[in-house]
Amino acid sequence: MITMPLVDNFFINILFAIAALIGIALSIRSSLVFWYSSSNQQKTLIDQINALLPQTQCGQCSFEGCLPYARAIARGGAINQCPPGGEATIIRLAHLLNDYPEPLNSAHGSIEPTKIAFIREAECIGCTKCIQACPVDAIIGGAKLMHTVIASECTGCDLCVAPCPVDCIDMLALPAQNPWQWQLPTELQSTAAARR
Amino acid sequence: MSSTNFLHLPRQQLRRRKIFGGIKPAPHKAASLRSRIMPMPLPPQLILPINQYHGTNSSPLVKVGDAVLKYQALTEKLDHTGAALHAPTSGRITAICSAPIAGHPDNAALCIHLQCDGDDNSLELQPCLNHDQLTGFEVLRKIDAAGIVGMGGAGFPTAHKLRLAIEHGTELLIINAAECEPYISTDEALLRERAREVVIGAELLRTACHAPRCVIAIEEDKPAAIAALRSALAHSPIELMLLHSTYPTGGEKQIVQAVTGLEVPVGQYPLNLGILLHNAGTAYAVYQAVAEGKPSISRIITLTGRALQTPKNFEALIGTPVAFLLKLCGVQEQHHLTTVMGGSLMGLQLAHTEAPVTKTTNCLIAATVEDFPQPEPELACIRCGFCAEVCPARLLPQQLYSFARTHNHTQLQSYGLDDCIECGACAYVCPSNIPLVQYYVAAKQELRTLSVAREQSEHWQTRFQFHQYRTKQEKDSARERRIPTALSPVELLPTDSSPITSVQFSRQLAQQEIADAVARANAKRSSRLATDTQMPQHPAKDKE
Amino acid sequence: MAMRYLAGPQQHASIATNQIMLQVIYACAPGIAIAIWYFGFGILLNILLASLFAVAFEALALRLRGLSPAPQLRDNSVLVTAVLFALTIPPGSPWWLVGSGIGFAVLIAKHAFGGLGQNPFNPAMCGYLVLLLAFPLDMTTWHVPNAQLLDGQSFTPFSWNGLRQSLLASFPFLIGSESTLVPYIDGLALATPLIEFKMAGTSAILTALDTNAAVLGKAAGTGWELMNIGYLIGGLYLLYRRIISWHIPVSIIVTVSAISALFYAPNSFAIYGTPYLHLLGSATMLGAFFIATDPVSAATTTRGKLVYGLLIGCSIYSIRVWGSYLDSVAIAVLFGNFCAPLLDHLCRPRIYGHRKSRSLPAMQEQDR
Repeated sequence: MITMPLVDNFFINILFAIAALIGIALSIRSSLVFWYSSSNQQKTLIDQINALLPQTQCGQCSFEGCLPYARAIARGGAINQCPPGGEATIIRLAHLLNDYPEPLNSAHGSIEPTKIAFIREAECIGCTKCIQACPVDAIIGGAKLMHTVIASECTGCDLCVAPCPVDCIDMLALPAQNPWQWQLPTELQSTAAARR
Repeated sequence: MSSTNFLHLPRQQLRRRKIFGGIKPAPHKAASLRSRIMPMPLPPQLILPINQYHGTNSSPLVKVGDAVLKYQALTEKLDHTGAALHAPTSGRITAICSAPIAGHPDNAALCIHLQCDGDDNSLELQPCLNHDQLTGFEVLRKIDAAGIVGMGGAGFPTAHKLRLAIEHGTELLIINAAECEPYISTDEALLRERAREVVIGAELLRTACHAPRCVIAIEEDKPAAIAALRSALAHSPIELMLLHSTYPTGGEKQIVQAVTGLEVPVGQYPLNLGILLHNAGTAYAVYQAVAEGKPSISRIITLTGRALQTPKNFEALIGTPVAFLLKLCGVQEQHHLTTVMGGSLMGLQLAHTEAPVTKTTNCLIAATVEDFPQPEPELACIRCGFCAEVCPARLLPQQLYSFARTHNHTQLQSYGLDDCIECGACAYVCPSNIPLVQYYVAAKQELRTLSVAREQSEHWQTRFQFHQYRTKQEKDSARERRIPTALSPVELLPTDSSPITSVQFSRQLAQQEIADAVARANAKRSSRLATDTQMPQHPAKDKE
Repeated sequence: MAMRYLAGPQQHASIATNQIMLQVIYACAPGIAIAIWYFGFGILLNILLASLFAVAFEALALRLRGLSPAPQLRDNSVLVTAVLFALTIPPGSPWWLVGSGIGFAVLIAKHAFGGLGQNPFNPAMCGYLVLLLAFPLDMTTWHVPNAQLLDGQSFTPFSWNGLRQSLLASFPFLIGSESTLVPYIDGLALATPLIEFKMAGTSAILTALDTNAAVLGKAAGTGWELMNIGYLIGGLYLLYRRIISWHIPVSIIVTVSAISALFYAPNSFAIYGTPYLHLLGSATMLGAFFIATDPVSAATTTRGKLVYGLLIGCSIYSIRVWGSYLDSVAIAVLFGNFCAPLLDHLCRPRIYGHRKSRSLPAMQEQDR
């Protein structure tokens, strides 16, 4: 049976044989690639989503931090609930999840420039409530001692403002880091059109 | 030491190669080359940026009100990124404040404002007639003191570049006289008139970097400059190489490829291949610094464009306002539409002409509507592939364009957006008039911003995880000091070791822990009973 | 004072998109002229009808999409679609056949996917395929007017009678009062003369020259070869003007020649013709230079173009010889269009300074 050609024409048989060999070779190669890549450390989807979130742990998404929100997204939650991440995060989450990017859900806040907490030291009473509240330990100080915010570590998450009993914490806007902003030509055109 | 492959063929004739892609635009250089290089009359005021370009570090040595002489040092560098600045003429410092500068973020930088008194009184210079007998170290020291920076446009301090080259080891010094961009003719004018000085400068650079071989690379469509170079190189071991006149042969990566056929590996510099590149104008400045003792106070600048009555090359003082130079060339304001600093393909459009000329300005174009017509409206990309044919980095601009529009950052990186040199060849040939370079520049900035944001969020995540660990440690150690009873509330139960923000409660786990704690307490009590006399038992109360 | 920069070149020197499209239409002209000489005015009527319908449908589509029609229509892209579509359907086709085909091509295959530059499939070929599947009989019968067929030695292709009969073929509702219907010949129920020449294996032009017959006359049967030579000349003109690159046409021609040479069986009764037959006796030249090189739907990298041409060449031959469709260029090109995005992804040039042509898929940030 195996010696019987498929078709009478000799050349067509050769063609079929070549095609079959190529097919087998490609399938071996692709399974090798899959095996190789799966032996690398596979990150779970939650970790991948979490890596795209800004890690401010602010809770504006109505979850307790960025990892719980990542879990919720992995379970099918909305991707447009993170104001500190801004539009860029929504777009990247959409790309990761093969979803459509939507505008930020305004119920969870709006996109604002980053702010840094600042303690008015004259009014601070040293109660350490803000220190306990800060998720990244950006406030230093001790009980009954002066508290201050390490500006370079502050994420602008706002969690220290509420616990302060004397309301001495302000959120101040950062000075413009790099005002030289290039815009995509399509954005330039649309802003020009809007102005018209 | 470097590991290039032409070390093994020291006597091999270097032959010119082709770069990838490239375009051949009309040169537009003849108008400015009709006359010789003109010296410049003294302007009323000079504006001198303290930092050569964004990110460098220099500090002023003078203060407001000081009288300075020509060649006097005005700034000193604080680290190797800076270069010294010298007064181009005598005068008085009227201000040290922010002024508009082309090419900086925020379009302004701290500048020294020098009011020229017209006398041009100078410090005593110390020329060196036996410059061919200087050691490399002495040459390097003079270059450093003169504040020379790369005059091809990058502005990198020449002395530091030489130091890096010496550390790494150099096998080939290439003097870049390619000048491929339309409208710019500074190097060509320099070579036509002062080829001998440029060659001396090249030899000085070779001495400084100890390179065994040196090549001057020039495009073949500059016959007068080539003839002058040939006669200047008559008794010199420096070689002359004529390159194809394609844009952008003069770019750093492209000229390495055109001269040697090697490609600069991604993420590295020509120095890693043992190749040192310097512009012909830099070589001239080195000659001036070493042989004539003059620090870097002037450079050749091309002024051209149809709005000028007399386009020409000037030997202009650093810090001259652009408007002054334009007026010298007879700018006709009624036709003058745009001013461009640089060539027509990579130059920056200036919104006003108060900005000064810096050490890296090589050309000013006062353009009319005939020079640079209004761009046509942008049409849809038809994927014709003309852009990919001309890209010198062999990228796929049509793909990068669509990824830039859709903000697809991973694909932008995979398709090599970081390798784009922003030469503009792709936008030059696009039939649909798409301003491709604008897309890439905006996309690169997006990628940079996101990469900074990503680093920041990783850092915050680490701090947050440490915060959780620290909090848990405190809770665990607080719990160790208490004896739990059957009435222990949930929060005293140990959590598992992964950093989670929500407590996972399990009734079985709670009861098991309670039972263990009770057993521990009973064991302790029974051991104490065994050693002590009867003691009353106090049930521990939780205070939280 | 704020300075605003716009990055990018101030100068621009390139042939504009609308001029590229016009050049493609001009390059078709020699082939079209020869076709009109041999097959009458039907082809010209096809082209005119298709162009009118195409412009109308394009304006409609742009209006429906909320764009203003005028600037978009000026890019002439829809004219190229119309001309190429008109060349693939039988001359003397009824007006409704032309209209529905070009309507599908413009509305669905082009604008439903996003308009110029966004269509993954060649619109003209999509229109042709839809007509082929929906109206197989009309698409496989060529209405050649009597005036073309009955003139023997005194061949006058530009007769008034011929034009009138072509008009009647295109607009059957005008026939009404005429007693004679437009005759058509069953024997010409073919798109190409492959069956005619399968036994010959020689060039009809050379045969005509040997026998001193009129090369340009109808009797010698040289029509198809001359038409293809006309398209070849047009294609070479496009190469000379650098409007298309050589990769796709050369790749298709080399592939078709190689495969047909490999399978050439002079004594077989299947249509294993000579390479010359496959290249010049059918629509391969039109496909190689004009249809497959449509930049929007073709592969865009140079290596990708070579593989794209290879795929199309293989498909042309295999569908023609072992498939049930007589002329396979349209289907082969559509098959190539399916593969073009994958080819663009896989066949990338090696970027300056990199060692491999395709680096590993971009490291996701979360994998770092």
